[in-house]
Amino acid sequence: MSATAIAAASVPATGSFATGFAWALRRDLTLAWRHPGETILVVAFFVLVASLFPLGIGAEPQLLARIGPGVIWVCALLAAFLSLPSLLAGDYADGSLEQMTLSPHPMSGWICGKVAAHWVASGLPLTMLAPLIGLQYGLSPDTLLALCAALAIGTPVLSLLGAACTALTLGARGGGMLLALLALPLFVPILVFGAGAAEAQATGLSPSPHLSILGAGLILAAVGLPPAICTAIRIALD
Amino acid sequence: MINWFYFASPATFYRLAGWMAPWFFAAAAILAVAGLYVGFAVAPTDAQQGEVYRVIFIHVPASWMSMFIYFVMACYGGVSLTFNTRLAAMMARALAPTGAMFTFVALWTGSFWGRPTWGTYWVWDARITSELVLLFLYFGFIALANAFEDPRRGDRASALLALIGVVNLPIIYFSVLWWNTLHQGSTVSFKGTSMHVAMLWGMLLMALSFWMYSVGASLTRVRAIILERERRTHWARELQFT
Amino acid sequence: MSDHLFYLAMSYAAAAIAVAAEIVGLWLRRARALRGIEEERDLEAQD
Repeated sequence: MSATAIAAASVPATGSFATGFAWALRRDLTLAWRHPGETILVVAFFVLVASLFPLGIGAEPQLLARIGPGVIWVCALLAAFLSLPSLLAGDYADGSLEQMTLSPHPMSGWICGKVAAHWVASGLPLTMLAPLIGLQYGLSPDTLLALCAALAIGTPVLSLLGAACTALTLGARGGGMLLALLALPLFVPILVFGAGAAEAQATGLSPSPHLSILGAGLILAAVGLPPAICTAIRIALD
Repeated sequence: MINWFYFASPATFYRLAGWMAPWFFAAAAILAVAGLYVGFAVAPTDAQQGEVYRVIFIHVPASWMSMFIYFVMACYGGVSLTFNTRLAAMMARALAPTGAMFTFVALWTGSFWGRPTWGTYWVWDARITSELVLLFLYFGFIALANAFEDPRRGDRASALLALIGVVNLPIIYFSVLWWNTLHQGSTVSFKGTSMHVAMLWGMLLMALSFWMYSVGASLTRVRAIILERERRTHWARELQFT
Repeated sequence: MSDHLFYLAMSYAAAAIAVAAEIVGLWLRRARALRGIEEERDLEAQD
């Protein structure tokens, strides 16, 4: 029996956000665990692209330390972007998404679960790997800490925004390019504040204003985007 | 009883927009002439920048319109999603190209103003960057609206996208306050301005002109969109064209 | 100073071209929509 069928058999008549969240989280994490290719791809892409910059620009330590935060953020952003289609495309293609919308649990619950699982499978590895890349770029420990904190707060926002854009483009012509046109402009504020936090620390200023704004962005995204994602999926399924 | 929704039908709105649009274009032309007259003949030469500051009579109104049109577009998007109407979605689609045009003009004129005054055509200043992001948001809106076989699906998806992107507008607006960068802070507010009165009037007249033009252009465009979408209907096929 | 007039001229010219391009675009779009309606009329007449 598929994961969906097993879970559906244990669903009560009235749903709750938490149950839906936990169900979707467990399901998608199980799927990601069984097919680690996606996560490995994200991580490999991140490391590869981050290695391209010193090769292309030259390995002068001061230059690398200067561009490090921004470059690492851009690579993380692109890696997160590349992992977006796997969030909904598979479920949309085989009809599970439609089945899940029939669930008694509130839609925003299991949507948040899916996005959380997606973050655990893509954003979290990026955040954990960033210090190693940062060391390659010769960043100081303080900067690395600020960078990781910024990534830890920012990558969930990327997952949420990315999920909204993915839901909007389900079944659209233009595929990946359309998704890039929609998602990357929306990612820009996160990038600006995220890289800004690390750069502020690198120049001796406090990163907390940037981190605070990122945190505010995360709260705003966590509250405002799940309903938007639900609406987008309903639009896609009609 | 007044039927408040009489013009909510594409068929009736088509005619209304048809007789409204020329008036808005005429108003735009008159206001533009007035604004440019004030801007070039009345407003004095700037002490620091000389004559090149007169770009302001295009640059600032275009920037205001780029943000305002996006806001109106998002509102129409919200209305179309809430009430599931077609016409509101068509209006949103009609506004997008005009908004993108003004965003481009704002960026271009800003660039050509920056070269003689700041020494560079482009700088990654917060406001300029977020205006560039706005241009991409417009492109994304247009692309998404046209990415589906079913135009209604395109309507709804792009309306939702416009609503999500609205968060960019406060970022543009407050960016000069939040970041201490090259772009000048706001000199015009509801409390008053430090600007010379003729310059202010030139700017305001041009802004009104652009506003009237936007209304005229989007009404004209929505008429074309209505014809495209409603071409199978009886009323459309009965239309007489000279 | 004549240097600066270049920037002024480029700005106003770009704005004028953008507006003109939009108006031409509007006219073309309306022409295309009307052609579509003509086609529909012809299709209906064939029935």
